[in-house]
Amino acid sequence: MNNAVWTLLQPRLIDAANGFRSRASGIRRLLFLLVGLVFWIGAFLIFYRVLAYFESVQDFGDILAIKLLSMMMLTFFTLLLFSSIINSLSHLYLSRDLSLVHSLPVSVRDIFWARWLGSAFDSSWMVIAFSLPVILSYGWVFQAGPGFYLAAVGAVLCLCLIAAGISSLIVLCGAALLPAGKIRTLFVILGVLLALLLVLVLRLIRPEQLVNPDSFASAVLYLNSMQALDRPWLPTTWITDVMRLSLKGKWGLSGFNLALAASCFLFLLFLNDTLARLLYFRGFSRSQTTAKRLFAPLMYRGISWEFPLGFLSRPARAVAVKEIRSFFRDSTQWPQLFLICALIVVYLYNFSVLPLDRTPISSVYLQNVFSFLNVGLAAFVLSAIAARFVFPAVSTEGEAFWIIQAAPVALKTFLWIKFFLYAIPLLILSEILIVASNLLLGVTSLMMIVSVVTIFCLVPAIVALAVGLGARFPDFKSENPALSATSFGGVLFMLLSFGLIALVIILEAGPVYKIFMARISGHGFSFWTILWFILSFAFALLLCVFAVFFPMKAGEKHLLAK
Amino acid sequence: MIELHDLTKDYKTTLAVDRLNLHVRAGEIYGFIGPNGAGKTTTIRMMGGIIEPTSGAISIGGIDLRKDPVAAKKMIGFVPDRPFLYEKLTGSEFLRFIADLYAVAPRTAARRAEELLRQFALWNWGNEIIESYSHGMKQRLIIAAALLHDPKVMIIDEPMVGLDPEAVRQVRDILKELAKQNVTVFVSTHTLSLAEDLCDRIGVISKGTLLAEGTVAELNRAAKTGNAGLEDVFLTLVREG
Repeated sequence: MNNAVWTLLQPRLIDAANGFRSRASGIRRLLFLLVGLVFWIGAFLIFYRVLAYFESVQDFGDILAIKLLSMMMLTFFTLLLFSSIINSLSHLYLSRDLSLVHSLPVSVRDIFWARWLGSAFDSSWMVIAFSLPVILSYGWVFQAGPGFYLAAVGAVLCLCLIAAGISSLIVLCGAALLPAGKIRTLFVILGVLLALLLVLVLRLIRPEQLVNPDSFASAVLYLNSMQALDRPWLPTTWITDVMRLSLKGKWGLSGFNLALAASCFLFLLFLNDTLARLLYFRGFSRSQTTAKRLFAPLMYRGISWEFPLGFLSRPARAVAVKEIRSFFRDSTQWPQLFLICALIVVYLYNFSVLPLDRTPISSVYLQNVFSFLNVGLAAFVLSAIAARFVFPAVSTEGEAFWIIQAAPVALKTFLWIKFFLYAIPLLILSEILIVASNLLLGVTSLMMIVSVVTIFCLVPAIVALAVGLGARFPDFKSENPALSATSFGGVLFMLLSFGLIALVIILEAGPVYKIFMARISGHGFSFWTILWFILSFAFALLLCVFAVFFPMKAGEKHLLAK
Repeated sequence: MIELHDLTKDYKTTLAVDRLNLHVRAGEIYGFIGPNGAGKTTTIRMMGGIIEPTSGAISIGGIDLRKDPVAAKKMIGFVPDRPFLYEKLTGSEFLRFIADLYAVAPRTAARRAEELLRQFALWNWGNEIIESYSHGMKQRLIIAAALLHDPKVMIIDEPMVGLDPEAVRQVRDILKELAKQNVTVFVSTHTLSLAEDLCDRIGVISKGTLLAEGTVAELNRAAKTGNAGLEDVFLTLVREG
C-alpha cells in the first residue's frame, strides 16, 4: 500500500480509534461484545450439533456436511456481492467527503484504492465474523489440524475480496454508463436484480429436498444429487473445495483451489486498477451533477398523497406526506424493499413445501405447532424490518430536524405520526404473512385466531419500541441513517424486541397448548386453569401496551431535552 | 415582543449563554453580533424552540415559550444559519408542508407560496427536488418558508450567507418592509455593515454575556470610541469585555 492510500485511510482509522477510546462508549462496547459473543457461541453450538449429527450418519453424513458448506458459501457470496455493490457505490461516488478528497493532491487511482479498501472492509467483516464459528465447528467435528483453519480463513478472505472486486467493477461500469444525475438509479436496478437473485439462489438450493429423499427414484440418484459438483467456474466452488479437501488432508488439491481463488482476486485487482484509471473520475464527475428523479411526481398526474390522507389533521398530514414522499424518492431504500418482497415470497413458498405429511408425528399437531412458532418467526422478521426502516425513522430527519423543532407541532404528535405511518403498513404485512402461512399450513380456527390476535398486539409494540428508541438514540448527523440499525440504540432495540416477542410467546404457549390438546381430547378446564389462561394472556397484553407507551414517552422526553 | 429573562444555557463543558436579558419591541430590527463561539446561535436556537434553556425564560408576544411552545412558535418565522431541508421534496412541496404545519389556510398558502417563489426567483425551480438546489437557492427557500405564515417575529441566524448580491439586497429590503408592518426582526450576523445599515438596535455578545446594546451611537458611548464605525466599536467592546 503506498503512502497516499495509507494517508487517505487515516481519518477513518483515527475516527475508529477515537471512538474506541471514548469513555462514553464503554457500556456500548460491552453490549456489542456481549451480543456478538452470544451470537457467535450460539452459531457455533448450532453448527456443531448439526455437523455432529451428520457425522454420526454413516457414509451419507460427510456428503450432507459438504452440501451444507457449499450452500452456505453460495449464500455468503450472494450477500457479499450485494453489500459490496451498495458499499462501493456509497464509498466511491456518494459519500459527502468525496468532494474534499478529490480536491486533494493525490491521484484518482490512490483515491479509488483507499475507498475500495474501506468498502471491502465494511461489506466483509460481518461475513468473516459469522464464518469463524462455522469454520471452527467444521474443524472440531471433523478433527482437522491447524492447516485446515489457515486454509479456511484464507479461503473466506478470498471469497470476500473476490466479491468486493466484482462489485467495484460493476459499479465502475454502471457509473460510467448511466446518464449524469442518474447514479442513484443503480440502487433500483440492483434492488430488482438482488430480489431475483435471492429467489433464484434459494430455489436452486432447494433445501426441502434434503429432508425428502422420497422424491428421488432411488437412493443412488439421491446420493448423486447430493454429491453433484457445483459449477466449476463459480468462486464458491473453489472456496468450498479448499475447505473440503483440507478437511480430508488433501493439501495439494486444496492449495490448488486456494491458488485459483487468489489468482482470480489478483486478476480482479488488475481489472479494477485499469478500469479505475479510465472510468472512476469520469463516473465521479457525472455523479456530482444534479440528481434526477426516476419517475415524475404523482402530483402532476392528478394524484397526490394529500387526498388519501385527507382525514388527518393538517400538521399530521404534512409530516405523513413528507415522510412518504421522502421515503419513496430515496432510491437507496428501494433495493431493501425489493429484498423484503423477495423474502416474503420465499417465506410463504417454504411453508407450501414443508413435508408435513411425511413425518411420523401427527400432522394436525405439527401444523399447529408450526403455526404457533410462525407467530414468533413472523414477529422476528418484523423486528428486523423495524430495525432497518422504523428505528432510523427519527434519525432520517437528519439536520433538517430543526424544521420540526421550530414548527408549532408538539414532538409527541410528531412521534405518534411516525408510529402510525409505520405501524399500519407493517400490521397489514404481518397479518397477511400470518394468515397466508396459516392457510398454507391448514391450521385449526383456534390457532388462526391466536396468531392473528397475537400479531395484532405485537406489531404496535415492536413499532413503538423502534420509534421510541430511535428517538432516544437519534443520529441526526449520520450520512446514512439506515446504518443506525447497527448502532447501540439499534442493537438495544433488537434485544428488547426479541425479549418482548419471546416473553409473549412463552406466556401464550402454555395456555394455547392446553386449549389445543383439550379440543382434540374433548376435556374441560378447572377454575385454576382458566385463571392461569386469563392471567397469562392479560400479562402478554399488558407487556405489549407497556411496550407501546413507555418507549414513546422516553423518546419524546429525550428529544425535548436535546 | 421578544423578552429574554436570565436566559442561560450550560452545556456542562461550556457555559454558552449566561443570564442573558433582552427586550425587543414590536416592529424593531434587533441585530445580535459577537465573535465566533460567543453564544449567538445558541441564543437564537433557544428562541426558536430548538434547544431547551438550562434556566431562564423566553417570551414571544407575551407567550412563555416553555409553557406554550406551540402557540409561541406559531408567531415565529425561523431561519437557521445552515440551510438544511428535506432534500427529497420539491420547493413547492416544502412550502406546502410548512403551510400545513403552520395551519395556513390552503388558498392563502397556495397564493403566498407562488408569490414567495416568484419573489425569491425560485418559481422555475418549484417542481424540482431540493437536492438539486444550490446553497443560495436553499437559503432563499428557507427565508420564503419562514415568511409563508406571516409571522409576527422573525428570528434569523446569518441571513446573508450563501446569497448573491441581488438576493442580499432583496432580503435586506424585505426585512425593512417587515419592520414597517410591525414585525419584530431578531437577526444574528457577522456582517457588521449589514447590522449597521439594517438594525434599529444592536446587542454585542461575548462569552455568553451581553456586553452592550443600543444604537450605534449608544454603543460608541459605551465603548468610548467617539464616532467610530460599528467595526471599531465591536472590536473594542469584545477586547475589553
